[in-house]
Amino acid sequence: MGHKELMVGNKAVAYGAVLSRVQVTSAYPITPQTTIVEYLADFIASGRLDAKFIEVESEMSAQVSVQGASWAGARAFTATSGPGLLYMHHPMMGCRLPIVMAVVHRSNKSMQPDHTDLMAQRDTGWIHLYCENTQEVLDTMIMSYRIAENDRVYLPVALGLDGYILSYTAEPVEIPDQDLVDSFLPPFKGRSAPHPDMTIEEWRANMSRGAGGYGTQKAWIDHHENMMAAKEVIVEVDEEFGKVFGRSYGGLYEEYNCEGAEAVIVAMGTIASTARPTIDDLREEGKDVGLVKLKTFRPFPHDEFREMAKRYNAFGVIDRNISIGSGGVVFNELRSALYNVDDKPSVLGFHTGLSGEEVTPGMVRRIAEKTLEAARGPVEPLVEWV
Amino acid sequence: MVGEEIVTSGSTSCQGCGHAILARLAFKAFGRKTIFTLVPGCIWITLSRNIPLFSTGTVFEGGGALVSGITNGLAARGIEDMNVVAFYGDGGTADIGLQGLSGAAERNENVFWICADNQAYMNTGGQRSGATPKYAQTTTTPASYIRRGKRTKRKNLPFIVAAHDVAYVGTASIAYPSDLVGKIEYAKGLKGFKFLHVQSPCPTGWGFSPSDTIKVARLTVQSGIWPLFEITEGNDFRLTYKPRELKPVGEALGLQRRFRHLTDGESQEIQSRVNGQWKQLLEIDGKRLPY
Ligand SMILES: Cc1ncc(C[n+]2csc(CCOP(=O)(O)OP(=O)(O)O)c2C)c(N)n1
Ligand code: SF4
Ligand SMILES: [Mg+2]
Repeated sequence: MGHKELMVGNKAVAYGAVLSRVQVTSAYPITPQTTIVEYLADFIASGRLDAKFIEVESEMSAQVSVQGASWAGARAFTATSGPGLLYMHHPMMGCRLPIVMAVVHRSNKSMQPDHTDLMAQRDTGWIHLYCENTQEVLDTMIMSYRIAENDRVYLPVALGLDGYILSYTAEPVEIPDQDLVDSFLPPFKGRSAPHPDMTIEEWRANMSRGAGGYGTQKAWIDHHENMMAAKEVIVEVDEEFGKVFGRSYGGLYEEYNCEGAEAVIVAMGTIASTARPTIDDLREEGKDVGLVKLKTFRPFPHDEFREMAKRYNAFGVIDRNISIGSGGVVFNELRSALYNVDDKPSVLGFHTGLSGEEVTPGMVRRIAEKTLEAARGPVEPLVEWV
Repeated sequence: MVGEEIVTSGSTSCQGCGHAILARLAFKAFGRKTIFTLVPGCIWITLSRNIPLFSTGTVFEGGGALVSGITNGLAARGIEDMNVVAFYGDGGTADIGLQGLSGAAERNENVFWICADNQAYMNTGGQRSGATPKYAQTTTTPASYIRRGKRTKRKNLPFIVAAHDVAYVGTASIAYPSDLVGKIEYAKGLKGFKFLHVQSPCPTGWGFSPSDTIKVARLTVQSGIWPLFEITEGNDFRLTYKPRELKPVGEALGLQRRFRHLTDGESQEIQSRVNGQWKQLLEIDGKRLPY
């Protein structure tokens, strides 16, 4: 049975790569992702991870080279932060290879975290999974490959962890046994993988199950359909992970202490951790407000939120991001998801924690109390900076 | 020419396209156990469908990283006996692709990079590139009263790559097919980074008759404009074609509309630079270059 170790988030990422038996890795250093690259280099140097490490000269090359490796049939991994992620935007766009990338969130207006980096990749066609603590980071690494490589999906996954707050903070983490991980995550069989003994016809037949339709609208339709199919797969993989390892995360989202709640706040990443004890306190005080932790941002759980709208009268959405000139990305998506439900709940928006500014339990309390008030009657303003 | 014919007929490239001739020769030499990769450019758009081999493409700036990923991915699967070929234009090699080229060369990745150099961004309509020679007209370096075509020399691409101390660097011409094919056949057996810089005359962009492609290519070699050489073992330089006497550059330039505006003085300048360069190449022929 696994063992426990005290480790920082970045080490959990690297451990996740080791346990997933990544075959090719390629990454370029940037704060606060840097130590992932160093851990991986160490693991490879010491023989703990049997993988090729491509020492690239930039993030653009990191991204393209892991795509090349994945195309060639190897399980591939990369990691980056803020500016590096933005530099990868072009090759990320439309990618349909099952690579996994850790994004250690870094703002563009500070070196501290916010989610503007990964939110800027919203429309690239990647699955986006946000993590709350170090254990979840390690577990999500392993789950990500299962999701990405699933035949109904076959898409890249970006998993986000807040810089500093997770990347450089040590927490006890249970490391599962390799045997168990191997039984959960079989070796990768790439669709496009060439082989010297394979004819071009065989190879093309293999590939035709995947990304096609270049030059047509169908390429977008297919990509979108595979992304929507990922919703089911994410839930299945999370459930199976729970059965095998005894931990699960709700797949798309988790409702925490929501039993009988009138209102819920919606949080992502480490803000969800800050919110849990605050919600517990509020419930003890008899205030009926719960927490919805949004783990999967793409594909977005539209239908699931519509279901929730039958139970809760108000949603207070915390956005550690802003789409400048519009507003909170999650706030906007959630509101649009609820546009045509009957008895629409109120949806409030809260921007907080940008550029890594601290999000305190007091702030979460204020957000939760205002949301609860909105469940009972109109409140102003609809959106605010906390 | 020995080797199986791989490239099929009926591509959409222009008549007399140098890239098409190069593709036929090169893939005969590489054979079927070959993966070729693409970045945007005339090769992808007009030729790739006629090369029935394993292939994939990426962003314009990503060529070097793509082949690096593929060769490492194959190696991780225990496959070491396939040629991983980058088949890119001069833009995808010398300009937007230069950073990735340098990275792949510095890591001495086990790939074969062929730069099909038509000396401009032809697929977007013939704009200047870092490989466009001085005075050549392109759609972004027109010649008129004030400007005289491109203002600066082209990058010395093979020597830029050679400075990375790689397994093989060579230049080649489609007018000298046995030299070209011989270089690929020799170098493809080497482990590490192989680079072949092939001149690829473009009738549409350079402004010559599609029936003159080989003639233009041959004259540029015979006049020393496009010298044929190779650099092996990192720095061992050798000319592979040494005419006793160079033809005047005017013969090659005169066939091309992009040089039609040249004054006598400008032609003379090109001639003396070619002479000077040829002299230098003869001096280093058979010698070790400084690291
Ligand atoms: C990032 C990016 N910038 C610009 C382009 C537009 N573009 C496509 S092909 C090309 C020029 C290709 O030139 P070269 O590499 O020399 O190949 P050729 O077509 O001349 O064979 C350009 C500028 C692009 N596709 N991607
Ligand atoms: S423009 Fe030039 S390089 Fe492009 S297809 Fe035509 S001849 Fe070939
Ligand atoms: Mg060109």
